[in-house]
Amino acid sequence: MQKITNYFKKADRIALALLIGSVLIFVLMGVTHPKFFGKSNLQSMLIQCPEYGILAFGMMIAMIAGGIDLSLVGIANLSGIVAAVLMLRMGGTNLSIGIGIVAAVLVGSLCGLFNGFIIGFLDIPAMLVTLCGLQLYSGLALIITKGPAITGLPETFSNIANGKLLGVPIGAIVFVLIAILLCYLLYYTVFGKSLYLMGTNKIASRFSGINNLRITMLTYCLSGIFGSLAGILMASHYNSAKSDYGTSYTLLTLLIVVLGGVNPNGGRGKVMGVVMSIILLQLVSSAFNILRVNAFVKTFAWGLILILVTTATYLTAQKEARD
Amino acid sequence: MAETFLELKDIHKSFGGVQALKGVDLTIRCGEIHCLAGENGSGKSTLIKVISGAHEPTKGEIYIEGERILHLNPIIAIEHGIQVIYQDFAIFPNLTVAENIAMNRAVSTGAKLMNWKGARELALEAMEQIGAKMDPDVLVENLSVANRQMVAICRTIINDAKLLILDEPTAALTSKEVQKLYAILRRLRDKGIAVMIVNHKLDEVFEIAERLTILRNGEKISTGMIDEYDRNRFVKELTGRNISESFYEPKASEEEIFRAENIGRKGAFEEVSFSLKRGDVFGITGLLDSGRGQIGDALFGINPIQSGKIFLHGKQIEINSTEDAVRHKIAYVPEDRLTQGLFLDRSIQDNTIAASISKYFIRGKLDEQAMYQATVEWIKRIGCVAPSPEASVRTLSGGNAQKIVIAKWLNTDPALLILNGPTVGVDIGAKYDIHQILRRLAGEGIGVIVISDDLPELIQNCNHILVMKNGRVSEIVEPSEVNETELATMMSSQ
Amino acid sequence: MNQKIRNFLTSNEMIVVYIIAGLAILIGSVNHAFNSISTVVNLARTMLVTLIFAMCEMLVIVSGGIDVSFPAIASLAMIATGNIMLKNGLDNVPLAFLMGAIIGGVLGTLNAVLIAVVKMPPLIATLGVSSMTSGATLAIFGAKILTVLPAKLDELYKVSLFTYTNPEGITYSLTVLFLIPIGICLLMWFLLKYTMFGRGIYATGGDIRAARIAGFNVTAIQFFVYIMSGILSGIAGITYMILMRAADPSVLMGSEMMVIAAVVMGGTRITGGHGTVLGTILGVTLISLIKNNLIMLGVPTHFQTFVIGLIMIVGTSITSLKAKHIANSAKI
Repeated sequence: MQKITNYFKKADRIALALLIGSVLIFVLMGVTHPKFFGKSNLQSMLIQCPEYGILAFGMMIAMIAGGIDLSLVGIANLSGIVAAVLMLRMGGTNLSIGIGIVAAVLVGSLCGLFNGFIIGFLDIPAMLVTLCGLQLYSGLALIITKGPAITGLPETFSNIANGKLLGVPIGAIVFVLIAILLCYLLYYTVFGKSLYLMGTNKIASRFSGINNLRITMLTYCLSGIFGSLAGILMASHYNSAKSDYGTSYTLLTLLIVVLGGVNPNGGRGKVMGVVMSIILLQLVSSAFNILRVNAFVKTFAWGLILILVTTATYLTAQKEARD
Repeated sequence: MAETFLELKDIHKSFGGVQALKGVDLTIRCGEIHCLAGENGSGKSTLIKVISGAHEPTKGEIYIEGERILHLNPIIAIEHGIQVIYQDFAIFPNLTVAENIAMNRAVSTGAKLMNWKGARELALEAMEQIGAKMDPDVLVENLSVANRQMVAICRTIINDAKLLILDEPTAALTSKEVQKLYAILRRLRDKGIAVMIVNHKLDEVFEIAERLTILRNGEKISTGMIDEYDRNRFVKELTGRNISESFYEPKASEEEIFRAENIGRKGAFEEVSFSLKRGDVFGITGLLDSGRGQIGDALFGINPIQSGKIFLHGKQIEINSTEDAVRHKIAYVPEDRLTQGLFLDRSIQDNTIAASISKYFIRGKLDEQAMYQATVEWIKRIGCVAPSPEASVRTLSGGNAQKIVIAKWLNTDPALLILNGPTVGVDIGAKYDIHQILRRLAGEGIGVIVISDDLPELIQNCNHILVMKNGRVSEIVEPSEVNETELATMMSSQ
Repeated sequence: MNQKIRNFLTSNEMIVVYIIAGLAILIGSVNHAFNSISTVVNLARTMLVTLIFAMCEMLVIVSGGIDVSFPAIASLAMIATGNIMLKNGLDNVPLAFLMGAIIGGVLGTLNAVLIAVVKMPPLIATLGVSSMTSGATLAIFGAKILTVLPAKLDELYKVSLFTYTNPEGITYSLTVLFLIPIGICLLMWFLLKYTMFGRGIYATGGDIRAARIAGFNVTAIQFFVYIMSGILSGIAGITYMILMRAADPSVLMGSEMMVIAAVVMGGTRITGGHGTVLGTILGVTLISLIKNNLIMLGVPTHFQTFVIGLIMIVGTSITSLKAKHIANSAKI
């Protein structure tokens, strides 16, 4: 019992608030629109949210490191395209699918390492570097595809995102596995501890013998790998790959991490908060769909929520400072 | 007797329940150089803020040129010619010298347009007045600290300063620059401007001050002409204790812990050699530009040595990064505690284990319990007053925070501990504690190097002192052979 | 004096001039079609709207912030103005620009409140506003492209500053709209260089605390910067609509990358406090030159994004390393 109360004390208020919000939407929508509880709706939620959820994890670790990763969508598309091209060239066998996926992850990690190297070694603001990165990776993707989408991917591949294991979409399983892996990396490894310390104060971490360059490169490499995994899921889900899929995801992932309590100045942020925030936003998104709200209103709402949440966080912080 | 510019009577100031000033009287006359001396926490920065109008005193009277000012605020203070130059100067690195000098006046006169020609003329005139020579069109980011200070002084002059307050103006200056600054301050004094310097370095105080006020624990201890003071009285009134004549004299040992052979780094120091035996607390001193601090940075791999060899316990080692240094069990308490030493917004526990995280990675995960235990233990062993290991380091006082930096390194089980300015900004009690810790560590067989410009600290706690001058070793002396004044002469003689 | 000449020759502006000159010679020698007045006219046309955006962005970055909402603001200004005027039968050029400016000003004010009062990081604040704005634009006015503009707006397009007919008989004309960015550049140059308020923007970007101590109203400066950026974005939207003779709600989206690249290439430091009008003009010229003429070098269009990305990363690395070099070099 003691353990449980301790756990709730430790779990930050942000995650709790998000949980309450999610439950509210769930109940409200469930009562007014029974379709919300329908199997198809639950299924489609579980297929959609891993794509940007995994991207949000990449954004999250970059932000904990004191930076930001705006190149994630570019990495996702580039990796998806590389995988697609390899699969088609090699005839769409199961082996080729495996090679395609491995190559995509490799591409993602290389892009991330490049970001991390420029940020850590040349000491250029992450925002600028990853903005350039987005342009570079999207540019490479465009060079490969010459514009139109790559279609006709093997059926086995498209089953990854659309298929199920024990009734749960495979994407959702991948998402949960990544969340668990991330919890382990952040809370139980030397890398995680160093990452939080570096994000809090880069100079002090250097003066404590932490190799900032290595941590930065690892962080962005990991973020790049997450980008490529999201890219594979996207390509599999749409059964095609294109250089400008998911452009709205950059803002969405930023919204998720800020909403989930990750500090944009670095050093703070928990996996639980981000997961809760992903769930909440997916529920809002589904609710919009069921209520047949225009997709553009959703874009508007994302921006509005981002602004309202940061304003609220600021106001509470101010109030606490006064007390 | 010169006329009085500023008079403070019975100034009290409290924050919450804490009394920072307890009835301070202060008189500053026109055309004098007045030194305000006090250790950290003595209330001198609060007093400056009262004078500059940033803090309103809880009780007391303020008179400027004989007129009682009831509610002094920064704008009224500036109108009366009170100008403070803080340690960071509050200047703009991205603007030119001329603009920096002319900016404040232009803003205060409500000018709408930028007069570049006027700004240049004003800047040249101000520089002429204090005898400084700088290109008015150069960007301030290209200037040295001393020249940035000149820009700040010029700016106060064109704002018709009558009282110029400088907060520890010599802290980042080289010896030549200090002399130049003093020449300028004397020149200002001769024009009838009152100058107040906040400083507690004995030699500098005796060199420049005409009158002296000593603060301790928020109270004025004494005021008087400088010739009424001697070294002993100054130190006694400043610290509240007599100068102790006890030295640190460890048992002689032949076991060598650390040796540097002709180490050098371009532009910082060259041909530095010394050796450290078991039990030694080894002091390194010198003026700011002597290379003393750079030796610490180099041995810890921040800016590594480029020539020479270093040996730890007889084995030659290579240090090219801070990671190398930690691997070889070299620990470094850096000069700037707030930005280099601590993670202010993180817990005491995170700070304590920051340099030894990998130690707790057992069977695939970090052992939270062990980290917590280690922190609790260090808090106790090092005498740190802290609410709990989870408390943020920001809540700690300077002395307790510094103890955490030391604990961070002791937790790595170091072979060599280098401390750069270990007691800067630390109150007297914690300073004493830290000195005791250093002696104890040396006794336990850890090599201890103390880099400092606090001469009494070195004389009392080290058994060898290396004096640096212009990047080279000037002398290595035993504290029992020298006194503070002799040591100061060694550092600065040409 | 020698030192001053050397400083001038190695200044950011001059480096961009060298690159532009080198590139022009390269393209000119590979493809002789480049060496004609039409290149200049086309370049001016490409630069027209980008230049207005770049001026907003430079202003904001100099003050120590960043703004990525201008494409969304410009799009809304353009679509809303076009639709409202057509629906109500309004047809007046100054009114169009006024409406654009008001829409931009309102959204700029929202940015300013979030950044100066709520203290949100500028990137996140302007991203949020950008999302809200573009969502609102599409939700209210739909994704339809307006192809018929009010007659007087359309007429303005046909007014030319000068026309040139080449030997083959093709006529190139420089539209009168080019006066808008020229006017904005002159205004910005005067503001930044010769007014105390402009110097206050530099001061705020250089050291916000010192700016407060010096007596600047930092909050007012931040408000001005973001509102000004909004107003100019609105005007840019109207300009673009007239220039293209259509209002497309999504064509400008994504242009923020190129604008930021141009501004940074022109020597504006992303950390604030440094940046000039001339440098920004040169940066825009360079990027537009590449965008327009890459094809003349035999580089296919689908390489464009990548090449611009490459130039961005090299350009930002050079400026950042230069700033770092200044910080580490010996002081005088």
